[in-house]
Amino acid sequence: MREQVVMVGDDLPLVGVLCEPDLDKHSAQNTAVILLNSGVIHRVGSCRLSVTLARNLSDRAGLATFRFDFSGIGDSEARRGTLTAAQAAVEEVQEVMDYLSQWKQYDRFILYGLCSGAFASYRTALADQRVIGTVQLDGYCYMTWKSYLLHYAPRILSPSRWIRFLLRNLGFSKQKKGAEVSGIEERYFEVPDFAGYPPRQEVKQGLRKLNDRGLNMLYVFFGNEHYKYQKQFEDCFNPVAFGDNLKVIHHPYATHILSEPEDRKAVVESISDWVLSLIEDKQQLTDNERQTGYRVCVCTSNENPN
Amino acid sequence: MEAFYFGPSESYLLGVFHPRQSTNRNEAVVLCNPFGQEYLRAHKSMRRLAINLSHLGYSVLRFDYRGTGDSAGDLTGVTADHWADDVEHAIQEAMDMAAVPKVALIGLRLGALLAAKAATNNKQVSRLVLWDPITDGSSYLGDIKSSVDQAQKQGSRSRILEPDGTIHFNGFSMPPPFQETIASLQLDNLTPSVPAPIAQIVSHEAEAFTNLTRQLSERPDFYYELAPAPHDWNYVDHVGGILWPKPVIDAIEAYFDQRAF
Repeated sequence: MREQVVMVGDDLPLVGVLCEPDLDKHSAQNTAVILLNSGVIHRVGSCRLSVTLARNLSDRAGLATFRFDFSGIGDSEARRGTLTAAQAAVEEVQEVMDYLSQWKQYDRFILYGLCSGAFASYRTALADQRVIGTVQLDGYCYMTWKSYLLHYAPRILSPSRWIRFLLRNLGFSKQKKGAEVSGIEERYFEVPDFAGYPPRQEVKQGLRKLNDRGLNMLYVFFGNEHYKYQKQFEDCFNPVAFGDNLKVIHHPYATHILSEPEDRKAVVESISDWVLSLIEDKQQLTDNERQTGYRVCVCTSNENPN
Repeated sequence: MEAFYFGPSESYLLGVFHPRQSTNRNEAVVLCNPFGQEYLRAHKSMRRLAINLSHLGYSVLRFDYRGTGDSAGDLTGVTADHWADDVEHAIQEAMDMAAVPKVALIGLRLGALLAAKAATNNKQVSRLVLWDPITDGSSYLGDIKSSVDQAQKQGSRSRILEPDGTIHFNGFSMPPPFQETIASLQLDNLTPSVPAPIAQIVSHEAEAFTNLTRQLSERPDFYYELAPAPHDWNYVDHVGGILWPKPVIDAIEAYFDQRAF
């Protein structure tokens, strides 16, 4: 495995680290994994997850990876413009893909992200056909009747929850949000400025489009208030028939920032296994196409002997 | 700004160099990070401090210790001595890149303790700035262990793994060799062997800081400033919020602006 720091772009470059497997360990010369920021944490990722994952993907799956900072995050200088952060993220991932294509001849990409990084990988996949797979940790998903039931049933039966609910509604206590939760003055505490979730129908249409295109999707959900059971994602976006394009993993006891070492280990291993299997499938498909193409050629030659 | 890898090939270090943007002060600065979650939450502050100091005429090098950030490996087998060696590699790198004869060290929290260790008997170090320093490695570990105990009582699965004693705290692991070597470091013992001037710039008052100030006040070159600012570096929320204690960053910048060496 070899790592090198890369600056993408001449003016206000995006700073990243390219991690490549040893030459004899490459499993796919034309494919790279791009790891995106989550929130305002710089490219090493929450609890250094992106570094661990990038190196694991290089060592275990034989793939090149590129982890970088979006403009205005980590070591990348902010860029001026009229785009929203969400739009700029898609453009910047495409800029990175263009750069890696020109420099290293990668033409297929798998995008990885946690939370806002997952949202950016979804949006980029919609905008760019070079994306063959996404790995989304706590990506877009919405409540279903079953998840509402699983969420609210224990609360309805809990006296302490009722007391807190009443106190809030009577104005005796306040539900804290964002920087307020920390107790630290807002001007001294930077939290991600997440754009609101898009409407469910919009995401459903997007997923249908991606699914029809054959995009491979790995979704990993952790123990949060909004994801309650293994099949929630499929129920949520029913009737999209994902079939083999989708794999969902649910770690109900893991935290959103993956603070527990065994959770990180399990997630890193399952991502590496999934990516490796995706690469092997694509390779198999390419081999089959090559064989089929050869037969067609022979057949054509036989059927049309001038 | 230039980002690159430097140091020995088996323990390569990520460095980010900010070249001076104004009159040459003939002194570079190396920033020494804190540990674990504190490092993630301090990244923006360290970067901003580096940029501001570069505008004052100081070339600045930020870097990740081995086993952290984008640098090589993990903390398996790593000790505080290795991290002090990394600080020394960073000092040499900063001197080479900035073409200056001396380097100031600024350390935050555990980074201050390590910077002090690297500064002992080191004539290349022009001054040592202790920002909210960990004054005693042993007490620091004790605090972490009590936080883990407290978190467990509140339902966290964080724990001290048996049998080897590795601590998992706030998403970062601290293996026993690292703990043992950190525990042996105390500013009380280190600072008398630091030949360079020392500044203590803190965001809040604490008994450990007062004791340190009392000890360091005997030095003719000692500088102290209290710049009240948030300092809960280990507060971790669910969205990865970042601490931004501007008043103390401004105070360090002002110290470098007014006092050239």
